Formats: sequence, C-alpha cells, structure tokens
Amino acid sequence: MRNSYLWFIQLVTGVLIAVLAGIHTVWMHLDAILGFFGVDVSGATKWHSMIERSREVMWAGIYIALLVVVLYHGLNGLRNIILELTPSARTERIVTWSIVAFGIIVFIWSVYVPITLLST
Amino acid sequence: MRQVQPRQNNLGIGGWIWAGNYKLERYLYILHRVTGLGILLFLLIHLTMTTVFRIQGQDVWEATMSILHNPWFKFGEYLVVVALIYHALNGLRLILQELGFLMGKPIPPIYPYRDSLRKKRIWTMAMIAIILILCIVFFYDFIAGGW
Repeated sequence: MRNSYLWFIQLVTGVLIAVLAGIHTVWMHLDAILGFFGVDVSGATKWHSMIERSREVMWAGIYIALLVVVLYHGLNGLRNIILELTPSARTERIVTWSIVAFGIIVFIWSVYVPITLLST
Repeated sequence: MRQVQPRQNNLGIGGWIWAGNYKLERYLYILHRVTGLGILLFLLIHLTMTTVFRIQGQDVWEATMSILHNPWFKFGEYLVVVALIYHALNGLRLILQELGFLMGKPIPPIYPYRDSLRKKRIWTMAMIAIILILCIVFFYDFIAGGW
C-alpha cells in the first residue's frame, strides 16, 4: 500500500515538473523564437538579472517548490530502478534510506543558498 | 516425454537495455529510463552550478557562465532539452494510459482479436510526432543563436 502512495506522488510530481520545467526551459532557451514575438529573455543568466530574481520571495518560493518535486521524482525514480532488481529486504532498506539521506542533504544545501541570497 | 522449459522472462540488468521479445513500447520505456537517469545527473550538476558557484559572487558566476557558453556545453544543453521533452511527453502518455484514457472502449472478444496495444499505438505515434516537432523547434532556436 505504501508503494502505491509513493507511485501516485510520482505521477503527480511528474505532471508538476512537466509544467514548471517546461516553462523554465522555454524561458531559458527559446531566446530567438520568443524574441521574434517581442519577449526579451536573452539576459536571464546574467548576474544582475539573476541576483534581482534571487531577492524576490516569489522566485525563491517557486525555486524551492520545484526543487522539492524534482528531487522526489528523480530520487524515487532511481529507487524504483534499483528495486526492480528485487534485492533482499535488508538491501531494499539500505537503498531506500541512502537515497532519503542523499535527498535531504541536497535539499538542505540547495535551499540554504536561495534563502541566503534573499538578503543580499 | 520431453519437458518444455518455460522461457526465462527475468532479464535482470540486461533487461535495462534489451527488450527481449517486446515491441516499440518497451523500447520507449527503456528510453524513458535512460533519459530519466540522464536528467537526474544533469539536475545534480545544475544544482551544483546554481548553488556552489552562485553563492561565491559575481566573478565566479560570470567565469562559470563563460565556460558554459562553450559550443560543446551548448550542444550538451540541447541534448538535455531533447531528453526533457521526450521524458515529459512519454511520461504524460504513460500517466494517461495508467488512468485508463486513450485505451479505446472495451469490445467483445470476437475472432480475429484486436489487442489493446494496437489501439494505443496511434497515440504513441502521435506522441513521437509531437516530440520530433518540439525537438526541431528547439533545434531551430539553437542554430539561430538564441542559446
């Protein structure tokens, strides 16, 4: 039953990522085509543009929300791939808790930076 | 009497890249897995770049960006975008099918039987067409110098 819930969350996070990462990819990479329609996104990775966004709570919030769903979807997907090899119950627990620990470390570090940059 | 051994269907690690007797959908599934792992690897690199290098200030950030503007890195970015497009659209197809959509109405089993795979195949082909169109759009932007 627990795995059913984990899988359902995998589907929900997948849809959320498709929408959020889709917007992010278009915004970061379709400079020429968006420029044709009068939308200028060419300076999105410039320091001043990036630091300006970093000071806004809304952008930091979107970034952290995207980070949560992406980390869950990616690491749970990796766990599913490994567990498909049907390891023993002990190995399964080791794999699960290693991935959870890795996810928590990456999350804490990746959230620390945007929160610090809010006050720069 | 000669005993017929059942065919071994547990492919183990080999099943990650070889689909055995399965058809197109199984290879799409393998590609889904490969692109997923590739995107996860990119995510970790991307997070390192946008945290470790960003927090060190303007000089380090700009030096990092100038390295990433190398044409080879740009091409790598294009491959990541292709992987994202594929993984997202194939994932949406899988979600819709898992929830029972795009499967067609149930019909009485009258010979010759029509398997569900053929009913779904048209949607699979439509998905591949959309993926190719989006890859071409992004490729156009890539060669037009937008990246």
